[in-house]
Amino acid sequence: MRNSSLRTMFRSPLVLVVLVVLLWFIATFLLFPNINLLVSTFFPGGEFSARAVEKLFSSERAMKSLFNSFLLAISLAVTVNVVGIFIVLVTKYFQIRGSRVLWLGYATTLIYGGIVLAAGYNFIYGRYGFITNAVRNVWPEVDPNWFSGFFAVLLVMTFATTTNHMLFLSSSLAKIDYQTIEAARNMGASTWKILWKIVLPALRPMIFAVTVLTFLTGLGALTAPLVIGGADFQTIAPMIVTFSKSASSRDLAALLAIILGLATIILLAVMNRVEKSGVYFSVAKVATPLKKQRIQNRAANVVVHVVAYLLFIVYATPVLLIVLFSFVDSTAVLTGSITLSSFTLDNYATVFGSPAVLRPFIVSIVYSALAALIVVGGLLFVARVIQKYRNPVTSVLEYLLHIPWILPTILIALALVMTFDRPNPLIGGQVLTGTTVLLLVAYIIVKIPFTLRLLKAAFASIPDSLEDAARILGAKSLFTFRRVLFPLVIPTAAAITALNFNSLLDDYDAAVFLYHPLYEPLGIAIKASTEGESNLDSMSITFVYTVLLMIIMGLTMYLVYGRSGGTTRRRKGRNVTPDAVANDPAAAAAVANTK
Amino acid sequence: MISYDNVEVRFDDHVAIPDLNLEIREGEFFTLLGPSGCGKTTALRTLAGFIEPSRGKVFIDGKDATRLPSEKRRVGMVFQNYALFPSMSVGENIAFGLSVRKTKKQETERLVAEIADQVELTRDQLDKNVAELSGGQQQRVAIARALVLKPRILLLDEPLSNLDAKLRVQLREQLKNLQSELGITTVYVTHDQEEALTMSDRIAVFNKGVVEQVGAPEEIYDRSATEFVCTFVGAINTLSREFVQRLVDAGATNLDPAKPSYLRREKVSLYPPRTGQQAIRLDGIVAERTYHGAYSTYVIESSGTKLIAMVTENGEAVLQPGATADLYIDPTSILQY
Repeated sequence: MRNSSLRTMFRSPLVLVVLVVLLWFIATFLLFPNINLLVSTFFPGGEFSARAVEKLFSSERAMKSLFNSFLLAISLAVTVNVVGIFIVLVTKYFQIRGSRVLWLGYATTLIYGGIVLAAGYNFIYGRYGFITNAVRNVWPEVDPNWFSGFFAVLLVMTFATTTNHMLFLSSSLAKIDYQTIEAARNMGASTWKILWKIVLPALRPMIFAVTVLTFLTGLGALTAPLVIGGADFQTIAPMIVTFSKSASSRDLAALLAIILGLATIILLAVMNRVEKSGVYFSVAKVATPLKKQRIQNRAANVVVHVVAYLLFIVYATPVLLIVLFSFVDSTAVLTGSITLSSFTLDNYATVFGSPAVLRPFIVSIVYSALAALIVVGGLLFVARVIQKYRNPVTSVLEYLLHIPWILPTILIALALVMTFDRPNPLIGGQVLTGTTVLLLVAYIIVKIPFTLRLLKAAFASIPDSLEDAARILGAKSLFTFRRVLFPLVIPTAAAITALNFNSLLDDYDAAVFLYHPLYEPLGIAIKASTEGESNLDSMSITFVYTVLLMIIMGLTMYLVYGRSGGTTRRRKGRNVTPDAVANDPAAAAAVANTK
Repeated sequence: MISYDNVEVRFDDHVAIPDLNLEIREGEFFTLLGPSGCGKTTALRTLAGFIEPSRGKVFIDGKDATRLPSEKRRVGMVFQNYALFPSMSVGENIAFGLSVRKTKKQETERLVAEIADQVELTRDQLDKNVAELSGGQQQRVAIARALVLKPRILLLDEPLSNLDAKLRVQLREQLKNLQSELGITTVYVTHDQEEALTMSDRIAVFNKGVVEQVGAPEEIYDRSATEFVCTFVGAINTLSREFVQRLVDAGATNLDPAKPSYLRREKVSLYPPRTGQQAIRLDGIVAERTYHGAYSTYVIESSGTKLIAMVTENGEAVLQPGATADLYIDPTSILQY
């Protein structure tokens, strides 16, 4: 029996210290700001007021943004699944020529997303984009704003959010017992029948999970509508940013954020419920690895190949162009006419030669590294305590630590801004709004659920008998933790740190509310470069930033997932995410929420 | 040496062991035998100090050890999956307990080398990562790690269950020899009756948390105290009421046809007994014969009972299915409950 009683837990001084610090953190940064947001929205003068709701209903912009968000979420759920399932099947299930190259193309979304991706598309297809200019050189009558509005946002987001499919659906697919496919074939089932009746049903829980995540991504989308949506297509998140800038409309921003949060909570609850009722585990004692299937019908095979390569072009073009443009003089990009003489290293020289230009990059690296290290370092002990002592106290703490999982980043950021703009006794009477600390706090908060979940899984995967063995050999808890458990979770902890670092580097959602004007992070700098003609000089710098980001992220992904293309190869606990979440859609959600 | 005194172990509402009373003698190889979930590992872990009984006491060397932390009980344990620390080399694994005790480096090296010799691990293997060793070698490391601290008691939790059949037989002999050499009191948990019968000085047979019988292997096998022990230990024939009645009719007055009756497979003979041995002859039809190499098994139908006979043929004529067979049964070998 595990020593799970409260009595045993409270006997350890180290555990007590961990618990006290944790309780303070939860109360100060997870509970208080969000409660404060609710109170200031519905009880502005100490009494209940529905003014914010009335304002919402009377604001045409706000209501339109609500409608647009749901429209985007529903549309994305369909388009991302169509594209996502297709790319997973052609890279992992069907025998397609050059599938490894295809995978690399589709996996480009692993190394760039969010504001970087939106800016990239904007610089290529947007009002001042290279393609737009190149086309207008030939047909001047073409509308320069052609790539704008709902369809542009839907297109960009469709190709930007198949990451979940690449990571989690691929992993689930690899776990299908091949003998079930062989058995179906043996009974005369065709390629399509096997896909339809055996493979896709086995993937259904994960497809459902990624659908919910895609829906949530669409609902809370900030950067794509902001950069590409134009005046006609604005969604909730950009509205929240706009409304939060003025004191008179802050309550409206808070209400919209609450609506976003509520929708997220409801959807995640539905997902958890469905997950509990229908996860299919392989019943095979010894599962046989999946072998790729030939498409027997020649015509179908040709069509699938053509579509696969067309999609490859769609995925790879922006990345290749960004890399290319980072070496091109900005005027050439703007005029849409690139010649050999346009190529230059000036853009890189500008970034590396000017501390002011490099500054956002350094700021983001410092913030991301600090947050990643603090959250992993801190939760290493917390995860251990929660995993070791199973009792009502640790259960409640675990639930509370999942608060950031159910709340959109912009709501968390807004709540922090609105709470710590006055002296707060919980933090020794300090004001945090407007300081450099609050963004770091936000980064730590948003990384908690993902980190906790994977660290707990890492501890749980260590057999209890190792600890028992250490104990019977005379080792005390701390000695056992240091000598036996810690070395075993280090590879996972390092991988989580790297993934956290990656996902924070190009953050815009939290930064837009919380950044310090003197320490502008990368996301803000990139966004600024997309704003109007006056900032076009910074476009080339953004290309360089993006290339550097892609190198860092690509390197991290390579180190974390190994060289196998991000599937199932296991190397001493390094391959944390895909395996950890293959049969756990909720874990997938926690992982996906990091992006 | 060790005694469980009215020990009760509960996991929330579930009573795993209701009332365990057991004495284990100094230097004895004592086995806790039983099917999965019978409470044998729970009893072992209670002795190790990993589980605190909800009632009763555990005594080690006459002292109450019920609340004594496991590291102070001077017990060594070999786990089912060996529980070797994957981040350490073989040598570091063995030396772990010594490093906890802050043993000097030279002394540690000497002790590790000494125990490695005893369990037949080479110097090269000490530098290897535990994952590089075979299952059998890993098991030796686990034993060495437990023994290097010179415990008073060695606890073994199904240590052979992860090995293949041939290695299992080989290692159980080595384990028994090592135990005899060291004279260390050993408590061994297994669900494998053959392991229990071949290695143990005494066996406690567990069923649903209750000890059904404690005794030497011969007692457990030949004079099983309960119906459970009789059917769990060794392969056995269940006899029908009609079959027993025929034996009674043929003169086996010691038997009661109304009682559940069992007969071990090797006690069913197809050949007349040697002079001086009593046996009742019944007839039957051979339904099936399976050749096992050293012996054959025959399925014989007789009076509504399908009897399985384990027979060493020793050049006797092989009976084919459909042939009539004479069955020779010693009525005193029938177990009734």
